[in-house]
Amino acid sequence: MALKLKTKLLAGFMLLVSLLIVAGSVSILEFMKLSTSFTTILENNYKSIEASKTMLEALEREDSGILLLLLGEWEEGRKILHESDKVFMEAFTVAKKNITEANEDELIADIQRKYLHYKEKWARPIVDTFKEGNIDWYQSNAHQEFIQLKTSINQLMSINQESLYEKATLLKDNGHRAVMPSIISIIGAILFSLLLNFYLNQQFIFPLKKLIKAVKSLNQGDFQVQSSNKNKDEIFQLELEINQMLKRIARKNDSR
Amino acid sequence: MRLEVIFKILGVVLLFNAAFLFIALVIAYSNQESSLIPLLFTTLTCIIFGLFPMVFSGKHEALSFAEGITVVVSGWVITCVIGMLPYLMWGGEFNLIDAWFESVSGYTTTGSTILNDIEALPKSLLFWRSATHWIGGVGIIIFVLLILPHARNARITLLNTEMSELSKSNFHYKARTTIQILIVVYVGLTLVETLLLRLAGMNWFDAINHAFATIATGGFSTKNSSIAYFENVWIEVIIMVFMLLSGIHFGLIFGTITGSRYNIFRSKVVRSYVVIMFLGIMLVALKLVINDFYSWSESLRFASFQVISVGTTTGFATIDTAIWPVFTQMVIIYFTIQCAMAGSTSGGLKFDRVYLFIKSVKKQIQLIKHPAGVFAIKMENKTISDSLERQTMLFVVLYVFTFFITTLLLTTMDIDLTTAFSASIATLGNVGPGFGNVSSLGNFDGLPNLAKFILSLNMLLGRLEIYSVIALFTIRK
Repeated sequence: MALKLKTKLLAGFMLLVSLLIVAGSVSILEFMKLSTSFTTILENNYKSIEASKTMLEALEREDSGILLLLLGEWEEGRKILHESDKVFMEAFTVAKKNITEANEDELIADIQRKYLHYKEKWARPIVDTFKEGNIDWYQSNAHQEFIQLKTSINQLMSINQESLYEKATLLKDNGHRAVMPSIISIIGAILFSLLLNFYLNQQFIFPLKKLIKAVKSLNQGDFQVQSSNKNKDEIFQLELEINQMLKRIARKNDSR
Repeated sequence: MRLEVIFKILGVVLLFNAAFLFIALVIAYSNQESSLIPLLFTTLTCIIFGLFPMVFSGKHEALSFAEGITVVVSGWVITCVIGMLPYLMWGGEFNLIDAWFESVSGYTTTGSTILNDIEALPKSLLFWRSATHWIGGVGIIIFVLLILPHARNARITLLNTEMSELSKSNFHYKARTTIQILIVVYVGLTLVETLLLRLAGMNWFDAINHAFATIATGGFSTKNSSIAYFENVWIEVIIMVFMLLSGIHFGLIFGTITGSRYNIFRSKVVRSYVVIMFLGIMLVALKLVINDFYSWSESLRFASFQVISVGTTTGFATIDTAIWPVFTQMVIIYFTIQCAMAGSTSGGLKFDRVYLFIKSVKKQIQLIKHPAGVFAIKMENKTISDSLERQTMLFVVLYVFTFFITTLLLTTMDIDLTTAFSASIATLGNVGPGFGNVSSLGNFDGLPNLAKFILSLNMLLGRLEIYSVIALFTIRK
């Protein structure tokens, strides 16, 4: 069954609208994913990396505190150790609450265990004991645990940095995937408009022009417009109506 | 020229692509892959642009030659444009030129790739790559002809423009029956090979993808190291047999199955094709043994796979031939030029033309000796007309001229001669791998973008057999 011009135009525009709706929805969806990825990166990895850095700094200061105690600087050493311990524990709490990667929980437990061991080394008196000025004790006890703890914290930072890199790559791909539908739908819409223009001319303008030409060239006595339209659409009906009207005029003329 | 008729058939071409895109979409959805949105968007674009001309166009019976040529050439170009959208939208290693190159390489069944890490692609895109081979193998227009309703005359015109005179030579049927035979043989071979590859140890996904790529004589694999990945002699044997079959005229395969007198065993062209292939394998294997590359059995295994793979324009690999002796590379280059038989899914010059070319040269020599003599060229007991003979000679000249020009253009970009020459001939012949930087286990990623674009045009020229493209641009004149 031949489609009417109205239906054809409506169908054509509906197709164009559906293309734009799909492109718009896809872009919105991808941009939303992009926004979520940004948040994920900030919340999951960046916080853990910052906490690891703070823990490392605090640990370095604790090491300096132990060295001060070894030198007999009790007051200065204890002050640094307590302040650094507070900073370390705050950062550790942030990292503990932000377990997002595989094996991160095991690393956090390992850091906690090692830190408690390390803390035991400096929590007990050092000044005025055999430990004071004893570099061998420092090397074999406190410094060893300090190195091991530092390695674990570095591992924690490393898995978060790797994940951050992976997510950033994904972010780049998501950004690409969010933009591409828009670019393609813009090109598609331009092509679609050109096609629509072609069909409007072919189905609407050309037949109308032909009809006008046919009506203009009507000879006296030849009351018939030759149809050139193959489609049974509104223009075809208009041709039929004009022919009917011409026949009526011809009959009236004859009756006079 | 009636554009509305052309747009309508191109719409069917897009809808046919949409069917395969939909399967890729289902794979992406079931595996929750990152290619879901690119495939969804491409499928919908195909459907929308495919349906649009149908809304406005009525029934059309006949097609003129000019309209037929325009449909065939623009059908291939539009298909390649649509085919690149999933790659382009997905991103990864694909930029605009790379996505276009991969798409053209897929549809023209060339099998050259720009990908360094094929296995990084989602399964759905791997399937789409193989599907482009399968759609392009027998020719997208052939598929469209099968489903094009109420268009007997259009079908004849399109069949005449899509298939060369030589390709039609072993079909003794009407247009519709010829198309049906082509599709039946094509689908049949694909199904049987899929089943055999599964039995030989491939999983269903790899079996389907490799069967698509073999029967279409494409060469895209789902693995970075192509067929070498499987290290399975049975898989290699199955693929070799089906590559060889896919390089033979489909009319003769159908004739052999149905017991017709037009069959593989009675065809002199098939006999010559197989004998030359066998000689090529033996020469390569012998040289590999003499140069102490491998043992006899290994040499035969590698040589037969590589020669059949290149000789049928497939392009799968079990080893990197770039390290082989120059003589073996020259033998393989000969097969890159010769290609497989007309009426098969292979591209390029076609063995039938080489066969006819040699016979024509012999005829010319006889004419020099006996100027007043009348000599006729016969192929498969049929006399070849002077016009077909002239067409073939002209095609050979045009073919050589095209790949010479392409090589020249590539060398202006400071690409070494081995790479430029082999890439030109491998893309024009729709073979895939060449030598130098584009060897059997290498890729085309290292080439400049302009070179990739020129080579993609080469692939289209090879697939459309040059004449169609020339005809399109000279139609008005």
